[in-house]
Amino acid sequence: MKKVDNLLNELAPQKFGKIGVIWTWSLVIISIIGIIAYADQVIKGQVVTNMHDYALWGIYISNFVFFVATSFVGTVTVAVLRLTNNSWRTPIVRIAEIISLAAIIMAGITIMIDMGRPDRLHYLFIYGRMQSPIIWDVIIIPTYILISLLLLYFPLIPDFALLKSYFKKKNPTLSRWYGKLSLNWTGSVAQKAIQSKSIQIIAILTIPAGFMLQTIDAWLFSTLFRVGWDSTNMGAYFISGASVAGVGALVAVVYVIQRAYKLEDYITDYHYDKLGKLLALTCIIYLYFNINEYLLPQLTAKKESITHTNVLFVGEYAPLFWFVIIGGLIIPILVLLFKKGRKPLPMFIVGLLVVVGSWWKRYLIVTPTLLHPFLPIQGVPESWHHYFPSLHEWLITIATLAMCLLIITVLIRYLPIIPIQRTADEQEILANEKNTIS
Amino acid sequence: MKNQLSLRALFMVFTFIFLYSFVIQQSYAQNNTKNTVRLSINYVKIMNEKVFFEIKATSKIDKKTIGVSNIDLALFNELDSTSISLGHITTDMDGKSIFNLDNLNSIKPDSTNLYNLKVFFEGNELFKKASKTIHFKNADINAKLITKDSVNYIIATLKDNSTDNPIESEVLTVQVQRLFRPLELSKELQFTDENGAINFPIKGEIPGVNGNLTFEVVLKEHDDYGTVKALIKAPIGVPIVEESTFDERTMWSPRNKTPFFLLIIPNILTLGMWGIIIYLIVNLFKINKSSY
Repeated sequence: MKKVDNLLNELAPQKFGKIGVIWTWSLVIISIIGIIAYADQVIKGQVVTNMHDYALWGIYISNFVFFVATSFVGTVTVAVLRLTNNSWRTPIVRIAEIISLAAIIMAGITIMIDMGRPDRLHYLFIYGRMQSPIIWDVIIIPTYILISLLLLYFPLIPDFALLKSYFKKKNPTLSRWYGKLSLNWTGSVAQKAIQSKSIQIIAILTIPAGFMLQTIDAWLFSTLFRVGWDSTNMGAYFISGASVAGVGALVAVVYVIQRAYKLEDYITDYHYDKLGKLLALTCIIYLYFNINEYLLPQLTAKKESITHTNVLFVGEYAPLFWFVIIGGLIIPILVLLFKKGRKPLPMFIVGLLVVVGSWWKRYLIVTPTLLHPFLPIQGVPESWHHYFPSLHEWLITIATLAMCLLIITVLIRYLPIIPIQRTADEQEILANEKNTIS
Repeated sequence: MKNQLSLRALFMVFTFIFLYSFVIQQSYAQNNTKNTVRLSINYVKIMNEKVFFEIKATSKIDKKTIGVSNIDLALFNELDSTSISLGHITTDMDGKSIFNLDNLNSIKPDSTNLYNLKVFFEGNELFKKASKTIHFKNADINAKLITKDSVNYIIATLKDNSTDNPIESEVLTVQVQRLFRPLELSKELQFTDENGAINFPIKGEIPGVNGNLTFEVVLKEHDDYGTVKALIKAPIGVPIVEESTFDERTMWSPRNKTPFFLLIIPNILTLGMWGIIIYLIVNLFKINKSSY
């Protein structure tokens, strides 16, 4: 059993090394480039994008859907594992909470980037119709941001109190900040009771909120009468896809943090094994939904559906489609089925594959459908039948991804990545159990 | 000598320029010969409602007949020795225009009880001037609907208004108004008898909004009488249940017509979640105050 002081020494936020600083500045620079590109887009209008009358949603919406999906990791790993009393979750929940918060904040920002007139954002609230899933999205995203923030903050309170004492001499300014954030935490019975109850409530609240978020996101598409979107399968399909994206992102980030902070004592092969099994399960479920989504239209042979699936199977988007299915789902499942595949490095590679696959999957959900409208316009330019993002779109999108990583990086810099108090409590319980047995 | 030569050369240059521009202008002008406008007029009288003239201006350009749009046409009521101006109209994009009269008393017949209407186009830079005159007599159709042995009949009488005599052996068409154009109720020709009358049985069930039907008895584009039409409105159709959702609370209605379930359920969910969020924020304050 490690003493709290030892835990603090090992788990308290540390200054970044050289690589960490370079990494952070790289993200800042990429973000600034993206902001400049966005400013240019606002000045010149969306003419700087390659979107047109057919592809009226482009990479921004794909990216938005990806962020929304990734934010589901908070629901899956934190809420579900907490409520099912899976104690192995402890060292990874905070990372999941951080990813969830960063992703949902960026989802909110990304959707604004897609607006031609962002100055009219408030019109959504003034003139919005409750019949439109877009308004449901406008309601659920700020709600989920707040829930994710509370989900991150409540378990952090005891750790802030510990960090306040820890940094008192080392860094008084930081100590003062931790002191304010610790809300005078003394670990009193009353405080523990309120905190415990609150965490339980958030864990329960996060599940319906997460499901609503993903379902609304799915309904943005399925309520439109278009091939590839008009499906009753869409809500469940998005939830399972979000689980894959979220857990994949978690695995990748956990690996990087474990290596950077040398947390092998806390995040062990056992955790990777558990995460690997969870990721394999989510991938299998998502593959099942994909088979439903693509095979049935092919079998029922409606002309428009055949055109759509042919574009994906053998047409313009075939390389990307098969990369997503094989690289992003089948290979990860095959690798994760073996114990050796659930070791840290293979897991990291699989996690990256899954995240990249998940991102492109959103692109495939949005774009090919738009390029095949039900009521084609006569005499449209040939270019309207194709879409590939412009330089502005790429710069802005990459910047949003960089900003998401920047939020994660900043939070990792100042928050204890592994819950200190909870780890101490668990180790104490473990020691007490051993003493009782002996 | 040199001065004379240069003057001669200058004179020749000016002469050449003048002749050249004259020839060019003439050849250009030949390409701009004015086209001929053809005018057609159709007189239409709807009993007890209105009288109007359908006028169309066309021209054959490059072997294609096209409507002449946006030209000004003057209308005159021609009498034996005088001509009374009725007004002006302008053709639409298809070369069509309609000139309405309050009733036929607005114009006067000549001494032979013929009405004469002249349409005149004074010409412009593209089209030659043109005119067209039609002559017509005033005819009336009196139509009514009767029911005999559970069968509905339309009885219509055609008569010359000026002489008050029935018009015999003319074809009257019985049709019912539909959304885009009237539907003729019989392919057989309905000739008027010696009393100028037809007796037309209405067979089959005809759908209509709230069961209301509007029948038309028409004398079509007659050489002497033009088009004369009588309308009969009768609630004898099979009622159509209109499926309009106008002004109802639907998923596609404006925000002030949102369905109640969409106002209630999402708001309950939103308020429920925000209620819990507020409770959790209050708990943060409680933690702050429960140090000991």
